[in-house]
Amino acid sequence: MLTFTIFLPLLTGLIVLAIPPSRPAWARWTALAGAILTLLLALWLWAGFDASDPALQWRASAPWIPGIGAGYDVAVDGISLPLILLTAVLLVAVMAYVLPQHERSPRLHAFLFLLLATGLMGVFAARDLLLFYLFFEIALVPMYFIVGIWGGERRRYAAMKFFLYTRAGSLAMLLGFLGLYLSMTPHTFSLPAIIQAQPLAAAPTAAALVFFALLLGFGVKLPTVPLHNWLPDAHVEAPTEGSVVLAGLQLKMGAYGLVAILLPALPQAAARFGWLLAVLALISLLYGSLAALAQNDMKRLVAYTSVNHMAYVMLAVAIAALSANAGARALALNGAVVQMVSHGLLTGGMFLMVGMLQHRAGTREMQRFGGVLAQLPVYGALFGLLAFGSLGLPGLSGFIAEFQVIGGSLTLGVWVAAIVVLGLLITTGLYLRLVGSVLLGSPPEGMPGLAPLGAHETWTAGTLAALSVLIGILPNTVMPFIAAGSSRLLALFQA
Amino acid sequence: MNSGHCMDLWAVVPEMLLAGLALALVPVAAFVRGQWRALPAAVAIIGLAASMAVTVVVLPTTSTTAFCGTYAVDRLATFYRLAIEFAAFVSVIVLDAYFRDHRQQAHAPVLLLFATVGGLGLAASLDLGLILLFLQIVSVAGYLLVILVRSDRSAQEASLKYFIYGGAALAVMGYGLSLLFGLTGRLDLPGIGAVLADADPVWIVVAFGFVFLGYAFEVTLAPFHFWAPDVYQGASAPAAGFISVVPKIAAFAALLRFLLEGLPHHAVVWSPVMAAVAVVTMTLGNLAALRQHDLKRLLAYSSIAQAGYVLMGIAVALRSNGAVAAVNFYLLAYLLMNLAAFLVVAVLERAGGADARPALKGLARRSPGWAAVFAVALLSLAGIPPFAGFAGKVLLLTAALDGHMTWLAVAAALNMAVGLYYYAVVIAEMFFMPSAHLKPIVAGIGMAGAAALTTLGTIALGVMPGAALGLANTPYWTP
Repeated sequence: MLTFTIFLPLLTGLIVLAIPPSRPAWARWTALAGAILTLLLALWLWAGFDASDPALQWRASAPWIPGIGAGYDVAVDGISLPLILLTAVLLVAVMAYVLPQHERSPRLHAFLFLLLATGLMGVFAARDLLLFYLFFEIALVPMYFIVGIWGGERRRYAAMKFFLYTRAGSLAMLLGFLGLYLSMTPHTFSLPAIIQAQPLAAAPTAAALVFFALLLGFGVKLPTVPLHNWLPDAHVEAPTEGSVVLAGLQLKMGAYGLVAILLPALPQAAARFGWLLAVLALISLLYGSLAALAQNDMKRLVAYTSVNHMAYVMLAVAIAALSANAGARALALNGAVVQMVSHGLLTGGMFLMVGMLQHRAGTREMQRFGGVLAQLPVYGALFGLLAFGSLGLPGLSGFIAEFQVIGGSLTLGVWVAAIVVLGLLITTGLYLRLVGSVLLGSPPEGMPGLAPLGAHETWTAGTLAALSVLIGILPNTVMPFIAAGSSRLLALFQA
Repeated sequence: MNSGHCMDLWAVVPEMLLAGLALALVPVAAFVRGQWRALPAAVAIIGLAASMAVTVVVLPTTSTTAFCGTYAVDRLATFYRLAIEFAAFVSVIVLDAYFRDHRQQAHAPVLLLFATVGGLGLAASLDLGLILLFLQIVSVAGYLLVILVRSDRSAQEASLKYFIYGGAALAVMGYGLSLLFGLTGRLDLPGIGAVLADADPVWIVVAFGFVFLGYAFEVTLAPFHFWAPDVYQGASAPAAGFISVVPKIAAFAALLRFLLEGLPHHAVVWSPVMAAVAVVTMTLGNLAALRQHDLKRLLAYSSIAQAGYVLMGIAVALRSNGAVAAVNFYLLAYLLMNLAAFLVVAVLERAGGADARPALKGLARRSPGWAAVFAVALLSLAGIPPFAGFAGKVLLLTAALDGHMTWLAVAAALNMAVGLYYYAVVIAEMFFMPSAHLKPIVAGIGMAGAAALTTLGTIALGVMPGAALGLANTPYWTP
C-alpha cells in the first residue's frame, strides 16, 4: 500500500508521457487525477495509522541488492506520515494550479513533477540509507530540469547552481552513509538496525566525520547559513509551481534528514556538536529574516524567509541533542515537525500568491503594488492569511510550530530564546510591511488592473490556507501523530 | 607450475571463432560493393552473438588454466569476455549504421573483430608474452579503426599520434616485462608472484614502473592520457566509442590480473601508487573536461576521469573484499553508458557533420528520444541515480572507505561533484535551448536498437544492480 502510494505519481507520469502531444489538456487532467488519487491513498495511510503504536507502520520490504546489504524497505512513523501527506497535498495543489497551462511541453512538465513527488515520498518513507539516497537524488534531478526549462531569465545559471550545490551536498551525505554502512557488522544500510546498534557510539573520530558529512548534505538542502547560497537564485528563477515544490517540499528533505537520520543515528556526535547546530540555526534565523527584510522582489523575500523558518528545525535538533529536559526535547521535535508541515503549506501558498500577482502584473516589485485588497478581496484575504500564518500569528499553524521550538529553546538558555524572539520580531515586521505595502494603501501610479482569480487559483491557495488554519485552531488533528513520532524517535536513541 | 593441460583449444573457442571470421572477412570486405557492404557487419553480429553464447556455455565456472598455465579460464576472464563481446556487438551495429553506403561499412567490422580478439585474450592472459601480444593486437586494430576514413586529415593525424604513442608505450612495457623475466626467470604471472615475494624491491619497482606505463597508456591514466582527446576527436564517433571502451576494459582487466596475480605480495607498494595516480587522473580529466567544446574531446576527458574512478577500486583491490567486484561492475556500467553517449554523438555526427555540438542545441525539442538517451548516459556518467554509474560509484566509494583510504573516497567524491558540471552543461544545451533545426533526426533501426540496449542496460544496472553484482563478484584463478 505504501509502495503503491509512493510509485503512483511515477506511474501517472509515465501514462502522461504516453498521451499524444496534441492533447495537452488530457495530460494536465491525467496528472491532476493521479495526484488526487495519490492524496486519497495518503489519507488512507493516515486513517490506518495507529498513533498509540510506537512501531513503524505500513512497512514493506523486499531484497534489493542483497550482495551489499541494501534492501527495499519503506515504512512510516508519526514524523514521516505528515510529510507524505504534505507532499500529496502540494502535488495536487501544483497540478491544479497549472491546469490551464498548455504551452511548453506540458507532458514533460507534469512528468517531472510527478517523478519528483515519487522521490519525495520515497525519501520520507525509506528505512534503508541507500534507498533514501536514491529517492533523494530522484527528488532533486527533476527540479534541475524544471528550473532550467520553465524558469525565468537567468534560469540556466540558477539551475546549474542548484544542481552543483545539491550534488556536492548529496555526495557528502553519501560518504556519510557509507561510513555508517561500513561501521556495521555485517555491513547493512538498514536505518532501524543502525539506530539500534549505534555503531559509532564508541568511535568519536569516525562519528565526527560522518556527522559533518551528513550535516553538509542535509545543511545544503535545509538550507542553513553558510550553505544557503543556491536558494535565492533557484527559488526566484523557478516557475511558480517549481518554487512551491522547492520551498514547500524539497527543503523538508534536509529537515527530515536532520531529524530522522542525523539525530538518532549519531546522538553522541549530535550532542558533542550541538552547540554548532544551535549557533548555525540562530545565525540562519537572523540572517534569513534580515535578508528577507532587505528585499523588494517579493519572490526573493519569500525565498529568504525559508532560511529563517527552516532554522527552527535545526534549532530543534540542537535542543533535542543538548537539552537535559526530556519534555523540552519532545517539545522541540514536535515543533520542528509541525514547522515542516506548516512551512510547506504557508510558504507554498505564499509562492502561489506572488506567482499570481506576477502573472497578472508582470512584476514582483513590492513598490509597484498597493491596495490589492480593495481590488481583489479574495486574493487579498488569502494573501493576508498566509502572511499572518508565516509570521506566527496564533490560530495558524506557524504559531503552533514556533511556539513549541521557542519553549524548548528556553532550556538551552534564555539568550537563545531571546535571539529566536528577535528573529521572530524581524519576521513579523517584514510580513507586516509586505501586507501593508501590497494589500493596503492606494495603488501606485501605473499599476495595471488585476484580473480576478480563476477557480483553480482560489482553490489551490485557499486549500493551503485552510489547512494551515485547521492545524492552527485544531492542532489535535496532527499533534498526536507527530508527538508519537517524536517520542518514538527520542526513545530509540536515548534508551 | 604447468597446472593446466597444454592443448586446450576448448578454452579459446570464442577467440578462434572471432579470429576465424575476421580472417575470412578480410578478402570479402575488400571486394564487396553496394548492398553487399552490409555482409561483414551481419557476419560479425552473428559471430559475436554466437561467441557470447559459446562463452556462457563452453567455459566452466570453476577456476582453472589452459595452455600450460598461460591462459586463465576463470570467472574473472569470463566476465570480461562477455563484456567485451557485448561492447563489440553494440559497436558493430553502430559502425554499420554510421558508415552505411560508404566503403568503410565493410572494413570496420573486420578491424573491430581483430580488436575484440585481442581484448578477449588480454583479459585471460597469464603469460608475459601473451599479454604483450594481445595488447598489440588490440592497439593495432585500434590504430586502423581511427583511420578508417583515409582521406580525413584529422583522422590521419589522430591515427599517427595513437600509433606513435602506443608504439612507444608498449615498447617500454615490453622492456619492463623482460626485466621481470630477467628477475624471476618466469613468464607466468603466478610464478612471478611467487618468486618475487622475497626479491629486491628496487628492481621490482623499476620493472613494475615500465610495465605499468603500458597499461596506463591503454586505459588513459595520467600522465599518459594525452593521446585520448586528440584520437577520439579525429576518429569517427563510433570508432572513438569502441576505442574508449574495449581496449580500456581489456587493459583494466589485464592490469587487475597483473597486480593480483603477479604482485600480490607488494600491495603495500602499489596500492598507494594506484591511489595517487587515480586521484591525479580523475582530477586532471575532470578539470580538462570543464573547458572542452568538442563533444568527443569532452567525452574523452570524461572517460579519463572515469578511468581514475576505476583505478580507485584497483588501489584497494587487496584491502577491501568488495573492491574487485566493484571494479568489474563499474567497468560494465562504464561500457553501457559510454557506448550510449558515443552512440548519440555518432547519430549527431552523421546527421550534421564533424562537429556535433551545434546540433546539440535544442535537441530535446527536435528529437526527444535521442536527447533522453544522451541525458541518461550523461547522468549515469555523473553518477546520478537510478542509473548504472551511480551504483558503480557507490560500490567504488564503499571499497575505498572499506580499504581505509578515506582521503581517496573524499577526493573522488569531490571530483564527482565537479564532474557534474560539464555533463550538466551538455544536458542544459539539449533541454534548455531553442533548436536551430526543427527536422527530427532520422537514425535508422540499428542505431535505435543499440541505443535501447545500452540505455535499458544503464537503467537496469542502476535500479537492480543485484544480478550484475553477482556476476561481477568473480573469483580468479590462483595457484
